[in-house]
Amino acid sequence: MENVATHEDWKVCFSELAPGLVLFARQWVRSAADAEDVVQDAFVRFWRRNHCIQNRALLYAAVRSAALDLIRRDQRRARREELVAAEAEQAIAPEFAGTDDAGVELAGAMERLPRDQREVLVMKIWNELSFAEIGEAIGISPNTAASRYRYALAALKKNMAGVR
Amino acid sequence: MNDFSELERELKKLQPRAVSAELSARVEAALAAEEKIVRPARFQVSWLGLGLGLAAAAAFVVLARMDLRPEQRRATGMAAISPTAAPAFSATANVNYADYRAEGLTQVVYDRRDEGIVFPEGSAVPARRMRTAKRETFRWTNPSTGGQLRVSYPAEEVTLTPVSGQ
Repeated sequence: MENVATHEDWKVCFSELAPGLVLFARQWVRSAADAEDVVQDAFVRFWRRNHCIQNRALLYAAVRSAALDLIRRDQRRARREELVAAEAEQAIAPEFAGTDDAGVELAGAMERLPRDQREVLVMKIWNELSFAEIGEAIGISPNTAASRYRYALAALKKNMAGVR
Repeated sequence: MNDFSELERELKKLQPRAVSAELSARVEAALAAEEKIVRPARFQVSWLGLGLGLAAAAAFVVLARMDLRPEQRRATGMAAISPTAAPAFSATANVNYADYRAEGLTQVVYDRRDEGIVFPEGSAVPARRMRTAKRETFRWTNPSTGGQLRVSYPAEEVTLTPVSGQ
């Protein structure tokens, strides 16, 4: 990933980060439209304050916070989200472009991961955050972030072995 | 330790779906709207202006504290502080004391002592002597000018009260 820390042009930063941010936001909201709303809200607020992406952890924390705010604003939506989360954590699926059969299987296996492991996996794999940044973004220690990442990979590997 | 490198490679092959062009347009519109209003995050402190302002304020304070007419101020100050002082009044030639009317007398007793039974000369009966220490203040006012005179002095009063034997 290109280092976007020094870019002052928001378009460069946004085009670089937006797909990963939307994927990250999808961990909490059901629809892609809601995820885009969340990313828009968080990115605009973040850019107004910082005018560059020096601290990516703060940006992801802003996205996470905006997603949780969206859920809180709409109680019916919150109940729906909680119901969905309670029924099956895999219901909130990240979206990937142009996936083949193996990719579909892998995405399906991701859907079955616990949410706390999945959000770390998304930030690490598709947003390339360090464990320190992940920890800062979601309020856990870097070691905990690394542990969740390893648990997620182990679970994925197990699930994929079962499928194949 | 498990080796997840192959799994990580497979995961990275999955590409998140590109965001819609509409989202970029919405972000651009939101940021453009913000540009038109204020940009507090880009507010730059003008250190030169700040320094000049502080220097001007300091100079103002120094000038305001500086006594440019010390003699005149000292004379005015003395008159204000001790309006009843005799030299101050003698120095003012136009004071007409006849215009001043007595306004009142204040007596503040700050000590009273019973000195016991005494036998005054020329008295057939003993008497109880009370010694009172106080401060008396006379005030005069000039109705036409509003000017005030005040004279204050310490005073001592001794009272002899005859004591009848029983």
